[in-house]
Amino acid sequence: MPFVSRTFVKAGMIYFVLSLIAGVLLEIDAVSLPALMPLFWHMLMVGWITQIIMGVSIWMFPGRNREEGFANQKWSWLTLILLNLGLVLRLVAEPAVGYSEAHIWSVLLVASAVLQVAGGLTYFIEMWPRIMSKKQQRKKRKRRRES
Amino acid sequence: MPRPSRWMIRLSFVYLLTGIIMGALMLIHKAYFIHSVIWILLPIHIEVTIFGWIIQLTLGTAYYMLPRFLEGPPRGNSSLAYVMIVSLNLGIIFVIADSLLSFALPFDLAGRIFELTAVGLFVVLHWNRIVTYRTN
Repeated sequence: MPFVSRTFVKAGMIYFVLSLIAGVLLEIDAVSLPALMPLFWHMLMVGWITQIIMGVSIWMFPGRNREEGFANQKWSWLTLILLNLGLVLRLVAEPAVGYSEAHIWSVLLVASAVLQVAGGLTYFIEMWPRIMSKKQQRKKRKRRRES
Repeated sequence: MPRPSRWMIRLSFVYLLTGIIMGALMLIHKAYFIHSVIWILLPIHIEVTIFGWIIQLTLGTAYYMLPRFLEGPPRGNSSLAYVMIVSLNLGIIFVIADSLLSFALPFDLAGRIFELTAVGLFVVLHWNRIVTYRTN
């Protein structure tokens, strides 16, 4: 399992725990935190489910570059960094926008949205060419060996 | 990777991007007011990310990765797999259309029936592939 996939899965597990903590807090009437409901759902669906899908697909789908390192797996690493940075910014900025009128929180929330879209795009760039038939895979391997 | 899986996985990537962009628009709207109509995207965002991205990707990957039959077509009747893909995606489109436009006909119900058909076909196609090749 490549290092980037291991990082995806471990980051996912942290979000899984955090989302369920948020889920518990949602059930306690005495606790009232702003934006807790969307944060619960996005930590669960983006932080956990989407990240574990991304980590495992980067590892298991055909056509993976087996060389470790950022340069060899740049789109996968960029996906991990952009998506997590976007999600962490959201966790901070979304409740803060409700509390504070400071302009910075709105800017950070927009940055979070842009980072997550960029993370989706880099995943798309990494994975799209790897969805291929056995015949295409064989051709690709042959080309690699020849070059 | 068989063609039905390639179709489903590529479609799921398109839905992922679409879903993220919709989510981003709603998030930006929380920071800077864009238009009140933006919230119409919420049920579509949920449908696209859950059925279009997560469910479609898992079904496509299962069709590719689960154990294959030792005799006959390795993944069973491929025509049924294509019907499954069309049915799932028609279902998603019908549910989205119902959120966007008001029809006299219950498009959301039709959409869910299409999705149910796709899941039923998935079970039929894969039930006998859930096996072990070990003899002891």
